[in-house]
Amino acid sequence: MSTGTQRVLGELLAVGRLQAFAVSAKGFAFDPRTGQSFSINETGVRTLELLVETGDVARAVERLAADCEVPAEVVEGAVTAFVHQLGRYLA
Amino acid sequence: MNAPLPFDRGWRRWTVGITGMNAIPDNPGPGLAVARCLRAAGFDGRIVGLGYEPLDAGLYHGGLCDAAYLMPYPAVGAEAQRARLGEIQLAERLDFVIPCLDAELTTFVDNQAALRAMGIGSLLPDRRQLAARAKDNLVALCERLGLPVPRTKVATNPAFFDTCESDGWRFPLVVKGPYYDAAVARDPAEASRAFARIAAQWGYPVLVQEFVRGYEVNLTAIGDGDGGMIAPVMMRKRALTDKGKAWAGVAISDPELEALAAKLIEGLRWRGPLEVEAMRSDEGLYLIEINPRFPAWTYLTHGVGRNLPEALLRLAAGERLAEPVPPAPGVMFIRYAEELIVSPDSFRLIMVDGALNAAPAAAPSRPSRMFG
Repeated sequence: MSTGTQRVLGELLAVGRLQAFAVSAKGFAFDPRTGQSFSINETGVRTLELLVETGDVARAVERLAADCEVPAEVVEGAVTAFVHQLGRYLA
Repeated sequence: MNAPLPFDRGWRRWTVGITGMNAIPDNPGPGLAVARCLRAAGFDGRIVGLGYEPLDAGLYHGGLCDAAYLMPYPAVGAEAQRARLGEIQLAERLDFVIPCLDAELTTFVDNQAALRAMGIGSLLPDRRQLAARAKDNLVALCERLGLPVPRTKVATNPAFFDTCESDGWRFPLVVKGPYYDAAVARDPAEASRAFARIAAQWGYPVLVQEFVRGYEVNLTAIGDGDGGMIAPVMMRKRALTDKGKAWAGVAISDPELEALAAKLIEGLRWRGPLEVEAMRSDEGLYLIEINPRFPAWTYLTHGVGRNLPEALLRLAAGERLAEPVPPAPGVMFIRYAEELIVSPDSFRLIMVDGALNAAPAAAPSRPSRMFG
């Protein structure tokens, strides 16, 4: 797991941006600081929950791989891209 | 806070004059939004629309305004404004007035004591506070309060743009009028054109401001006059008119913007409504403007449960305000235009008499000073 990805996640969590992100069950996500809204698919919603819950990219990947019955290497690539995307959108 | 206004009626029964009744769809005045907020708060007193042009739509909006009057333009001066409000007062017995346009604030502030003597209350800053937040004083204010502001300069000659790059000013630059209007200029030619247009329309000073890349965030609130900020509501524009005004926006919660506004209000000991405009860039938050009145998007304050015009009247009535409900980020507004049908008689009354639907106790019609 890249330390860069964990650093991005850590920064977002440290300033409370991910915790403040309001996400509906159907994936409508709203950032209360910027007013931006996004659509996140079901897997993304679950990933976001795991990232906030664990605060750890590797553990989120592990849990998601088990939940979805997908190889961890596949999940890791997707989660890495997702975390960096969140970092850009919520910057 | 000054002593409450000595009314024996609740604020819901007052007669309130509201200006800013122009409603051009791409750049409406705030007056109609303020009136809608009051009606939404259960206000059942009289609302008197005060306009400057016979085509100010709010003057004819019977659902919101009970009466309407034309006023002399602010440029005519405080005396003319006072005299006209004196005439209106004979007919309407205004309890309170809410000025909603930047250009008229100076004369309303100068007339505060005289209006109070006529029985018309207001909640406004003093002349010093008003001047301190003016666009050409903004940098000095921010330096005093330690707030970030883009580099700003008063330009008196468009030749400035031909040589400004050698003084460290880089295009694009923002060219701004003293009260309204701003244009982003990408080169000296564009800047000179914007300078000429703004100076012709709004007069001097014309200001030049560094362009901050990012997005704009706005906050409106009321200063209690003792340094306290009442019920801030924050908004980000979601869609713009050609004039850069919001026709859709979403309530946000930006703690840094709230802290900036609180510091401003505390530093100025601001009294009355205001709007704070800031740019959020990658480097942080920059204050770009402070408007001394409610913004055109004021109706959103009702939408998020922090109805600021209602709070203003409650404050003026000496009520102790309850803790505001938590902000409701995500609540949106989308502005739309609709047509008002205006009878020939209504238009004639405004054009000829400068008054429409005057109160039953009205004195005989008087010619408008605007046209007289």
